Amino acid sequence: MKRMTPLKFAFFGFSYALLIGAFALLYLPIVIIFLLSINSSTRGYNWQGFSLEWYSQLLFNFANPSSDLVLFREAIFNTIWIALRSTFFATIFGTAFAIGIHARDKKRRLRMMVMNNVPVVNPDIVTGISLMVVFSLLGFALGETTVLLAHIFFSIPYVVLSVMPKLKQLDPHLYEAALDLGCTRLQGAWKVIIPNIRTGIIGGALIAFTMSIDDFVISYFTSGVDFENVSIWLYTKMRNPQNLNPTLYAYNVLIILITIAILFTINRRRDKKEIPA
Amino acid sequence: MHRLRRLGDPYVVWMATLILLPTVFLVLLSFSDLSFFRPGGFTLTLSQLRVFGSPIVRRSLSNSFLFASGVSVASFLIGYPVAYLLTTLRESTKRILMAILILPLWTNMLVRITAWERIFSQNSIFSDVFGFAIPILGTAGAVWIGLLAMYLPFMILPLFSVLDKMDKRLIEAAKDLGANDVQTFLRVVLPLSASGIVSGFIMTFLPSLTAFALPETLGWRNIPMIGMEIQKQFILKGFEADAINQGAVISLSIMAFSVLSFLLIAKVDKEGETLL
Repeated sequence: MKRMTPLKFAFFGFSYALLIGAFALLYLPIVIIFLLSINSSTRGYNWQGFSLEWYSQLLFNFANPSSDLVLFREAIFNTIWIALRSTFFATIFGTAFAIGIHARDKKRRLRMMVMNNVPVVNPDIVTGISLMVVFSLLGFALGETTVLLAHIFFSIPYVVLSVMPKLKQLDPHLYEAALDLGCTRLQGAWKVIIPNIRTGIIGGALIAFTMSIDDFVISYFTSGVDFENVSIWLYTKMRNPQNLNPTLYAYNVLIILITIAILFTINRRRDKKEIPA
Repeated sequence: MHRLRRLGDPYVVWMATLILLPTVFLVLLSFSDLSFFRPGGFTLTLSQLRVFGSPIVRRSLSNSFLFASGVSVASFLIGYPVAYLLTTLRESTKRILMAILILPLWTNMLVRITAWERIFSQNSIFSDVFGFAIPILGTAGAVWIGLLAMYLPFMILPLFSVLDKMDKRLIEAAKDLGANDVQTFLRVVLPLSASGIVSGFIMTFLPSLTAFALPETLGWRNIPMIGMEIQKQFILKGFEADAINQGAVISLSIMAFSVLSFLLIAKVDKEGETLL
């Protein structure tokens, strides 16, 4: 191994310190959330000993849940149901749009990609009030439907961004060959293009789903008064944190664990594919 | 695949409806007395701009600008060495560390804010477990740390993605041609990572500029920021005369920054490769 110059040595030492500091900054709240989820205190302020009470409340107490837990469960249901539907539609539309954009000549394609970046770059609050304004203008009552439309809106660009690189790797002649062999345009797309960009589609769907599950600001501005997802439910409670039901933390830890499991499975499957037997 | 080009057309209509239309309407609301809830006749006027005369709005604007600039610069100073370091590691280590870095982003932002609220309290689960307290809730320090923790990954990710794709032979070439480490960095590495730097600055600057739940929870009313004012105009005061019009004025001033960001992104990274 080459010897490091003192400057390089100092740089790497400094960088490792920053790396550790950055990870500490990111994981300190996660540690606190985990501790709050296994804390027996009802108010969740001080540490009062280990308990799995909140997990069992969340998952198993259907006989006599507190009114708070009922509302929280409803918010969880709303969050997941919105996320599933918005992911479904955003993935289909996003993939179709990406294929359409990719099929354009270079100038048009770049122009459309710049347009695609608008919701990605725009701050959530700007997207939120814009959608609130336009939905009211078009005569929609703010509620579940407008939240769903909003989620589809902000998810599509991520699907497009995720699918596009896979389309670029695709050999365009394959599609032409499928058409020459008698496929219709859509059959060709379905049988040749879709299987080849599958990983991009799955990646895009995963991003869309996680964006939807965690969204607060855009949902908040497009939901009106009658519809609550987990974030909105939490936001209304944040003014008096002592009333916060700790099942929230249990829910959150479960979501983290599910995310890790999904990531792990995908990584494993990718590894298997990359290393030929 | 040219035959599939029509598939993208509905997207243009969809985006025009949901981006262009509301923008035009926000401009109209800002420069007229049009009522949001009872749209009808209106006259053009500059009187809505009086919202900038309000001391709280001015303070919020300058706070937001200060915090957003500070957070993005600090994220860059921390994020660049970290991203660079990550690219030098073994492939498997690199992948694991990146996964560890991304994981906290998949925890609801508001839940993380409540966790920071506990950390910065005098007497909380944090002080019980760690044995000391950092009682800075309601101060600028809490907002600085909270914003930095929230948005730092959005600087590291695009920087990592450009640095990792960079052809390392260019660095060797620079060395062979006689450049020292500092010269190589300033004249080769830094310019080649420009698109990541621009994305990173935008992805940390804009969200911290418009944050509202975080400064509200960690800084209380002591650190008013512009997101809180926009929310006040649109949600809390929504039904008062002119409230939405004035909210639209504030939003437009914020949108000026996003338009600027877009032009930058469109220049360095049209296809949005650093945005994912």
